[in-house]
Amino acid sequence: MSVLAWALPALPLLAGALLLLSGRRADRAAPAVGTGVATVLLGLAVAAAVTRPAVRFRLFPGWDAGLAVDGLSAVLVVTVAAVALAVLVHAAGEFAPDEARARFFGLMLVFTGAMLVTVTAADLAVLLMGWEVMGAMSYALIGFWWADPERVRSADVAFLTTRAGDLGLYIAAGCAAAGAHSLGLADLAGTAGPWRGLIAAGVVVAALGKSAQLPFSFWLSRAMSGPSPVSALLHSATMVAAGAYLLLRLQPLLAATGWAGSLVAWAGALTALLLGVVALAQRDLKQLLAASTCAQLGFMVLGAGVGAVAGGTAHLVAHAAVKSLLFLCAGAWLATLGTQDLGGLRGAGRRDRAVGVPFAAGALALAGIPPLSLWVTKDTVLAAAGEESLALYAVGLAAAVLSAAYSAKALIAVWRRGGGARGRAGRLAVVPLPVLAVAACTLGILGLPAVAGPWRQVLGVPDEPGPGAAGLAVSGVLAVATVLAAVALARRGTFTVPDRVPDGLPDRRAGRTAGWALGWLRLEPMAGAVLVGPTLALARALARFDDRVVDGGVRAAAQAGRALSALTTRRAEIRLDGAVTAVGRAARGLAALARRPQTGQVHAYYAQAAVLLAALVVVAVLAGGR
Amino acid sequence: MNENPADLAPELCVLLAAVLGLLAGMFLPRAGQWRVAAVCAAGLAAALAVALVAATRPGLMAFDAFTVDPVTHVTRIAVFGTTLPVVVLAAGRMRGHPRESEFSVLILLAALGTVLLGASSDLLVLVAAYLLASIPAYALAGFGKDGPGTEAALKYYLMGAFLGVLMLAGVTLLYGVGRGTSYAALRDGLGAAPGAAVAVGTVALLAGLLFKAGAVPGHYWVPDVAEGAPPVVAAFVTTVPKIGAFAALFRIGAEVLPPGAFAWAPLVALVAAVTMTLGNLAAFAQDNVRRLLAYSTVGQAGYLLVPVAMAGRAALAEPALLYYVAAYAVTNLGAFAVVVAVGRDDLAGYTGLLRASPALGTSLVVCLLGLVGTPPTAVFVGKLLMFGAALEGHYAWLAALAAANSVASVFYYLRWIVPAFGGPAAPLRPARSALVVAVALAAVSLALGIGSGLVLAT
Repeated sequence: MSVLAWALPALPLLAGALLLLSGRRADRAAPAVGTGVATVLLGLAVAAAVTRPAVRFRLFPGWDAGLAVDGLSAVLVVTVAAVALAVLVHAAGEFAPDEARARFFGLMLVFTGAMLVTVTAADLAVLLMGWEVMGAMSYALIGFWWADPERVRSADVAFLTTRAGDLGLYIAAGCAAAGAHSLGLADLAGTAGPWRGLIAAGVVVAALGKSAQLPFSFWLSRAMSGPSPVSALLHSATMVAAGAYLLLRLQPLLAATGWAGSLVAWAGALTALLLGVVALAQRDLKQLLAASTCAQLGFMVLGAGVGAVAGGTAHLVAHAAVKSLLFLCAGAWLATLGTQDLGGLRGAGRRDRAVGVPFAAGALALAGIPPLSLWVTKDTVLAAAGEESLALYAVGLAAAVLSAAYSAKALIAVWRRGGGARGRAGRLAVVPLPVLAVAACTLGILGLPAVAGPWRQVLGVPDEPGPGAAGLAVSGVLAVATVLAAVALARRGTFTVPDRVPDGLPDRRAGRTAGWALGWLRLEPMAGAVLVGPTLALARALARFDDRVVDGGVRAAAQAGRALSALTTRRAEIRLDGAVTAVGRAARGLAALARRPQTGQVHAYYAQAAVLLAALVVVAVLAGGR
Repeated sequence: MNENPADLAPELCVLLAAVLGLLAGMFLPRAGQWRVAAVCAAGLAAALAVALVAATRPGLMAFDAFTVDPVTHVTRIAVFGTTLPVVVLAAGRMRGHPRESEFSVLILLAALGTVLLGASSDLLVLVAAYLLASIPAYALAGFGKDGPGTEAALKYYLMGAFLGVLMLAGVTLLYGVGRGTSYAALRDGLGAAPGAAVAVGTVALLAGLLFKAGAVPGHYWVPDVAEGAPPVVAAFVTTVPKIGAFAALFRIGAEVLPPGAFAWAPLVALVAAVTMTLGNLAAFAQDNVRRLLAYSTVGQAGYLLVPVAMAGRAALAEPALLYYVAAYAVTNLGAFAVVVAVGRDDLAGYTGLLRASPALGTSLVVCLLGLVGTPPTAVFVGKLLMFGAALEGHYAWLAALAAANSVASVFYYLRWIVPAFGGPAAPLRPARSALVVAVALAAVSLALGIGSGLVLAT
């Protein structure tokens, strides 16, 4: 049984590493290998979900570590494997043959493997390994086209931001080791005293960073620099999902502290609201989808905060299907039409229905239109939030309305009549789209009473409430009304994106608020001003200190040494040198003297030997018997 | 009384090889004379093997005249082990010489005498061993039949005769006052003997042994022979006979003289001090490498006398002497082998040696640095033990003087080493056998230094 627990993460990790090591030689075979591995992986994931393997081992002496597939992990591994397969199939159809395909598929597989390690880890140490490898792979994938310096800069920003959040997880691990004497995820909630608060704080920071919640959201905008399949995977089932997963997994810890739960809930709700505004303001399809990812993850985080683990997980799974679908559609259009601008995409869905119809399904699901998936899952979370606090519910409902609005905006943009650009996505690239669309539409059954009960059993939270009928009605009506209103406004021409926006000129109608939202709440400049700037200033100050004081001290010591040596050269050296010379001269004199007896004449030798022996006799006699 | 000839099997092997070689040399055609060298080498190798086996057995006394103990074991191994490369060296040089066979036989006989010198425990046997070790060496020194060689042989012989006669007189005197010639008898008898007679007799006895050891006042022949005799002979006579001589000197101090009968330690310490200082100082300005090496061997003899002086006073004296003498023999022979291989006697001939022949140059540097006493060579370990013995015997001044001499000796060794690293390389065609011997000896010198812990433990 334990073999399966090892094989699940090992298969993609090893296959990916092999592809990376073989370099461009493997470019031809890479798509086949990648999709093949992903297919086998999906089989393994399903098997693992059914058999629930677990393995325990000693990572460090005295510290138990392990990989285990429990209910939550089972859901996640199947989701991750399924989305990875869909994305890789799409990528196999879309990626040009002259690209570094071996590197791409290798990185994607390692990325997936790292996510699998993260979701099956039973302790913080193993989780950190997967977490870190995943971060590194996200860097490599966002900066995949490294020849473009702007993309590399984006990768830097994304990596540094998530990395800054990751420090929290290290703090959490350190505090767990100190406070609980165990790194096991299950033991964290039972830690005593202030350690528990510190662990929770570290986990929350790391999870908010990974999930691109406020105030870390801006890195997700930067992450759009990678290839579209990367976005599809990174925004749905891996990376950002890891943060939500961590919070859902450690919900007992958050609840135990008392304050962490409401903190997380409010962070999620506010992210859902504000990033909804940001999404609404975007004119670029991928940026809109990115902001909506933040917003939708806000609902999952909210769920973790208010104790709706089943709802949050259902939302995670459904959103994974929806968002990977939408990004794959966006990627397909980017590949065929060469644009991701909402104005430029006018009518794209109408002309290429193989992409347009799945996109419409995904967008409607994202809008929360009944009876599609996110409507149900979102309301499960909102119902739990309403029990916690009415303000939270109100903010969540407003965010839901916003998600309907921005979904409608994207939908209208691609289905509006007009626009001229034509193109048809590759056959292989559209294969996964209907499958994902069906999943996006139907995963709402997780909220139906007949399915919700077993679902909660699987996740180990049988007592959680389901969505109330009134809440479902309210949010469904609001969503439909919002979409209809948006369509009506679009007919009158006020809720559309102009075909061409003059470069650099902000939309006059948008005003200051829209510009603020368009720029992702100015979060990146703010982070620059608050963190990067002061850090760099401190670094410069320390460098000056190093140059002037530390290095100056060293140089002063050197100068003092030189001065001292000059002094000794003038005063002492001459005398010392004279003494050395005298010793040398004396030695040479003695040497000349030593050669004197060697006359070469035997009679002289005889005489000398006789005299010396006589002298020895005298010495011996005088010395006596000592 | 133990009269088992098997206890002297290594010596008998060498004797047999020498006799066989002599007989074969009479009948073999000139072109086939190399077989004599092969027989002699085989005899030496067999003797070495038997000696190594014998070294594992407990000590004993054979024929009431030979002690077989650690001192004898090391003497055998060192003498046979260094004579073997000399025979190899000579085989290359003497090929086709009219008296090729006699050369090897003479070397074997001198080596045999040297071992007997170190193993004897009777003054009469000691004198016989002295003669056996000396007379073949005189003949060897004049082997070249040239002017310098003849002069060297004559000086060597005259010095040996003079000091040998003194030695005989000393033996007579000690026999008279000690009522015996065996070491054990003398140890009992000399205690009650008149002090002045013991003093005169012992100094006279020392005269011959110091001649063989190349120490003051018996050192006069060393530079002249080293320069005049054929290089291979010079390498042999400045290296191998010393091993037996120092063993014999050590035995006299440790086994013959009873405590209180003779001022052994102060007297030998004085001789050691004078010898090392004179040897090192005189080596300073030498431009002839064989003369330089000759004075260096005089200096080394001074160091070797330090543990001899400590005989019976310090427990470290015996291991120090044995390790140093073996290490010195290997290293000194290695340096001479380089000289034989290069074939030049002037210091200028060694400029750029490392570039001309890296193997030969490296061997020279290893051997010379070894003679200085640089870690990790074998002589370094020997020197360390020697200092330890001097300090243990409360002769700190002697240790200090030896250290000062070591520092001074760096000067003339460096005069040889430094040019070897730089300068234009002269074309060089080293003799193959000599090259192999030089490299092998340098390697052994290094191995003995690095593996000193192992060797000392056994």
